[in-house]
Amino acid sequence: MKEIMTEYYIEAKSPKEQTGKKIAWITSGGPVEPLIAMDAIPVYPENYGAMIGASKMGVDLCEKAESMGYASDLCSYARADIASAVINGGPIGGLPEPDMLICCNNICGTVLKWYEVQARYYNVPLFILDTPLCHTEYSPEIKNYVEAQVMEYIKFLEEVCGKKFDYDRMEEVGSLSVRGQELWQAVLDTTMNRPAPMTCFDAFFHLALIVTLRGTQTVVDYYEMLLAEMNQRVKDGISMVPDEKYRLLWDNLPIWYKTRWMSDKFAEHGACLVADTYTSGWCSALKYMNTDDFLGSLAEGYTRIFLNCGTDQMAENIMALAEKYSADGLVIHSNRSCKPYSLGQYDIQKIVQKKMNIPTLIIEADMVDERNFSESQIETRIDAFIEMLK
Amino acid sequence: MANFDLFYEVVNNPDQYARNWKKETGHPVIGYFCSYAPEEIITAAGALPYRILAGQGNISKADAHLQAYSCSLVRGALEDALTGNLAFLDGTVFPNTCDSIQRLSDIWRMNAGFKFHADVMVPVKLNTESSKAYMYAVLAGFKEKLEAYTGERITKEKLGDAISLYNDIKKNLSMLYSIRRDAPGALKSSDIHTVFKAAMVMDRRRLLEELEKITAELGEVPAAADPGKKRIVLSGNLCSMPDIYKTIEASGGAVVWDDFCTGSRYFEGDIASGGDPLHAIADRYLTRVVCPAKHSGTTNRGDYLVKTVKETRANGVIFLLIKFCDPHSFDYPYLKEMLEKENIPSVLFEIEDQLPSEGQINTRCEAFIEML
Amino acid sequence: MITVGVDVGSISAKAALIKDNSIIASRVILTGYNAKNAGEQVFEGVLADAGVQSSEVDAIIATGYGRNSVTFADKAITEITCHAAGAHFLSPGVRSIIDIGGQDSKAIVVDETGRVLDFAMNDKCAAGTGRFLEVMARALEVDLDAFGNMSLEADKAASISSLCTVFAESEVISLISKGERRRNIIAGIHESIASRVVAMGNRIGLTEPVMMTGGVAKNIGVVRALEKKINTSISVSENAQITGAIGAGLIARDRARNN
Repeated sequence: MKEIMTEYYIEAKSPKEQTGKKIAWITSGGPVEPLIAMDAIPVYPENYGAMIGASKMGVDLCEKAESMGYASDLCSYARADIASAVINGGPIGGLPEPDMLICCNNICGTVLKWYEVQARYYNVPLFILDTPLCHTEYSPEIKNYVEAQVMEYIKFLEEVCGKKFDYDRMEEVGSLSVRGQELWQAVLDTTMNRPAPMTCFDAFFHLALIVTLRGTQTVVDYYEMLLAEMNQRVKDGISMVPDEKYRLLWDNLPIWYKTRWMSDKFAEHGACLVADTYTSGWCSALKYMNTDDFLGSLAEGYTRIFLNCGTDQMAENIMALAEKYSADGLVIHSNRSCKPYSLGQYDIQKIVQKKMNIPTLIIEADMVDERNFSESQIETRIDAFIEMLK
Repeated sequence: MANFDLFYEVVNNPDQYARNWKKETGHPVIGYFCSYAPEEIITAAGALPYRILAGQGNISKADAHLQAYSCSLVRGALEDALTGNLAFLDGTVFPNTCDSIQRLSDIWRMNAGFKFHADVMVPVKLNTESSKAYMYAVLAGFKEKLEAYTGERITKEKLGDAISLYNDIKKNLSMLYSIRRDAPGALKSSDIHTVFKAAMVMDRRRLLEELEKITAELGEVPAAADPGKKRIVLSGNLCSMPDIYKTIEASGGAVVWDDFCTGSRYFEGDIASGGDPLHAIADRYLTRVVCPAKHSGTTNRGDYLVKTVKETRANGVIFLLIKFCDPHSFDYPYLKEMLEKENIPSVLFEIEDQLPSEGQINTRCEAFIEML
Repeated sequence: MITVGVDVGSISAKAALIKDNSIIASRVILTGYNAKNAGEQVFEGVLADAGVQSSEVDAIIATGYGRNSVTFADKAITEITCHAAGAHFLSPGVRSIIDIGGQDSKAIVVDETGRVLDFAMNDKCAAGTGRFLEVMARALEVDLDAFGNMSLEADKAASISSLCTVFAESEVISLISKGERRRNIIAGIHESIASRVVAMGNRIGLTEPVMMTGGVAKNIGVVRALEKKINTSISVSENAQITGAIGAGLIARDRARNN
C-alpha cells in the first residue's frame, strides 16, 4: 500500500511537462471515474487530511488556518488543507497545484466552502456536483437534477482537459470501479467471521486506494491480494485481536492521530472493532451502480451514499451492519469536524438501543485536531464501556 | 413620529399572535427556517408563514439530540419544539440551507410531532441551467405538497396575488432602509429590526397595511444626516436575530445597511409580475445575492459587500457571526481581505447562544468606533 | 496641565496622574465588589500620592470594565484605545501590544502615532488569561509568583494541548501523576497560554516591535514563551499594569488641550 500511494503522490507531484496530465482535486465522495477516463490525476485533499492527522501535523496547520482568520470550529480537514496550501505543509510538503477542482457535496456542505476558498486561491475552474440530501426519498426532481449535472460534468472536463470525452474508456473505468468496490466489500465482509481477521483500524489503512484510485486496475489487483490474505487468515483461524471477546461497530471518521492508541486500547480488552460505517461507505452504493451503464447510474450511486440520507436511514444502516457483523456494542465517534455525520448520533444511539438493546460508547473528539482529544477522559470512558459489556 | 408599537407587540409575543391568527382565520400556521423558504407559496395557500428563530431560554431537552457544537439557532429552535413552545405550528418547512439545518430537519421530523413536514431541497448552485430547472421543480413539488395538506388548490391567481403582495411589502421595507441610510437619525435601527422580525411572522396583508402607514408618516420627515456618527455596515448572519442595534448606536455608531438575509437581502430584488408565477418566484431565489450556503460564483458576496459599503458611504464594517456557523465562518477571511484591499476597516464579533454580556459587546463596539 | 486616567478592571483599579508629559504618580487597588467606590478610591489615592487637589485636575478619562461607573470622569474610553496610547507613550516605536489580564486577553495593532489599527479580544474563554494560570497554580500547589522563574529552569516544556482550561487542568494532573517535573509542566502551561494568545494576535497580524502589558506581564515565563512563539523579543515596561490608566490620562490631556 505504502509503495502504491508513494508512487501515486510522486507522479502527482511531478512537473506537468513530464506527465502531460491535468491535476484534479476532488472530494472523497466525488465521482472520480470520469477523471480517470480523462487521464487526469485525481488528488484528494481529504486523504491528505488523514495523512496530516496520522503524522500529527494537524494542530500546527489548524493553528495556521486560525491565524488566517478561519474559526477553530470549522472542519479540521479544511483548516489543515487551506493552511497547507499556503505554506506547503503536511507530510509531503504540500499537494500539487490543481488545474481544476471537483466538489461533490454528497458528504457535506463544508466542501463547497472549502473548495470555494481554494478556487479563489488557485484561480482555477471549479465544478460543483450538487447532490441534494435525500431525507426520505430519492425524488424524481433530485434524480433529474443530478443526471443533468453529470452531463455538465462531462462538458466541464472536456473544456478543461481540452479533449473529447472517451465513452468507451469510461465503460472500462466504470467496470473496474465496480469490480474494485465489490472486492472492497468482500474484504470488509471477511470480518463477519469469528474471530475477525482484521479490525476497522486495518480497514482505515487499506481504505486509501478505493477512495483515491477507484476505477484503476491497481485497485483491483491490490484488493484481490488483500482478500486472498484475509481469506487465508480466516481459514487458519487467525484473529487480529489476540483474544476476541467483544465485537464492536465504529461510527464516523477515524481519529487519525490516535488509531494505533485506540487499536491497542481496545485490543487490550479483547475488543475487536469488526466493522465501521465509514469504510463501508465506499461500497454502499454498489446496489445502485449498473455496470452496463455506469455513467447513467452514476447520479444515483453518488447521491444515495449513506451520509446523504436522513438520520433514520443512517440508523437503519448501522443496525444492518450490527446485525451482519454480529456486533455486541457500538462505538460512536462524535466528531466535532463533521456535522452531517455527527449531528443525529444521539438519536441513532437511542434507536439502536431500543431496537437492538446493544450498549453504546460515545467518544467526543476530532479527526485531525488533537487539541480536541482528551486522552485520560477517553481512556476512562473506554474502560467503563468495556465493564458494561462484561 | 412613526408609531412602531404594533410591531413591538407582535415581536414581544409572536406565538400568541400566531395563536390568535389561527383562531380568527381557521387557517394553518407553517413554521419555516431560512429565507429560501418559499413564503409566497405558503401565503398563496392561505397559510401564515412563521419564521422560527431561536428561543431565549436555556437549552436542556435539545442537548439530548444535538451536540454542543451546533449553532444556537438550531439548538434553540429544537428546544422550543420539544418543550411545546411551538405547539401552535401546524407544520414546518426546512429549506436546504446548511448541514446543521439538514440534520435538524431529520431530528425534528423524528421527534417534534408536527403533522406537516416539508424538506424544500433548493439547489446549492444557483447559476447553472440544471439548477434553474431544478429550482422550479422543487418549488412545484412543494406547491403540490402544500395543496395536498391544505386540501385547496394554489391557483396561478393566488400565486400572482401573493407575488404582488410581497413585492409591495419589500418596497416598503426597502424604503425604511433607504431613509435610514440617508438620514440615520430619522429612524432607530432597533425599530427597523423589530419591523423585520414582525414581518416574518405577521399576517402579510396586515403587515403591508401597517408598513404603508409607517412609510407614509416617515415620508414627511426632512432628510438630515446625524452628524458625528460613524456609518456602519453589518455583515453576517443574524439567524436568531438578537438586538445588537441598541449597543451599536449607544457606542456612537449608526447602522446604515447590512447583508443579512433577515435584512437587506430579504427585500432586495422584485419578483417579476406577469408570466408564470412559479418561474418568477424561482427566478428571484436564483438571482438574489447569495447567502454563504449557496454558490453563484466565488466572489458574489464579497462584491456585494464592497459595493454596499461604497454606495452607503460607510466608515466600517462589523461582522456578526454566530458561533458554529460554518458557511459564514468560511467566507469571513476573504470578505475581510476584499475590504482591506479597499482600505475599509472591519471588526469581527463572534456571538454565542445569547448575546454575550453587554459589557463585552459594548467594549468591542466602542473600541471599533474609536478606531474609525 | 494635570490629568488623571482611571482604569477600573474586574480585579484591580488603577489610576495614573499625568502632569504635562510625565507620570507623576500612580496607584493600584483591588476593585472589590463596588466598581464605583473603587474608582473614587483609586482617584483620591493617586491625588494624595501626587499632593494634588481635585480642583487642580483639568480632565479625567475612565477606562476598563467599570469605566461607566466612574461618573466623575469627563468621558469613558475603552481599554483598547487607552492601552494603545499608554504603550505608545512608554515605547513610541511599538506597533503591537499584547495584554493579558486576569480575565481577558487582547491583541492590539497600532500605527506610528499610537492610533489603533485593529484589535482582537478574548473575553469568553479562560484559556489564554491570567485565570488559566491561577487554576494551574492550584493544581500544581505552587505559588503563582514563582511560576516565571521555575519555568525558566525547565529542561523541556511538557505538552499541554487542550483548548479548554478544564481539560488542560486534567492534562496537568495526568502529568503530575506520571511524575513529570513541575518546572516542565509550568513551561508547558506558559506555552499553552502563549499559543492561545498568539493565535488571537495572528488574526490581526502582529508586527514588531511588540510590547506586553497587563498583570501577567510580570511573569517572565509567559513573556519568554510569547517571544518564542512570535519569534521576536517583547518589551515589558515596569508600568505594565498601569498602562491603561496612563493611556487614559494622556487622552485626557489631549482632550483638555484641544478644548
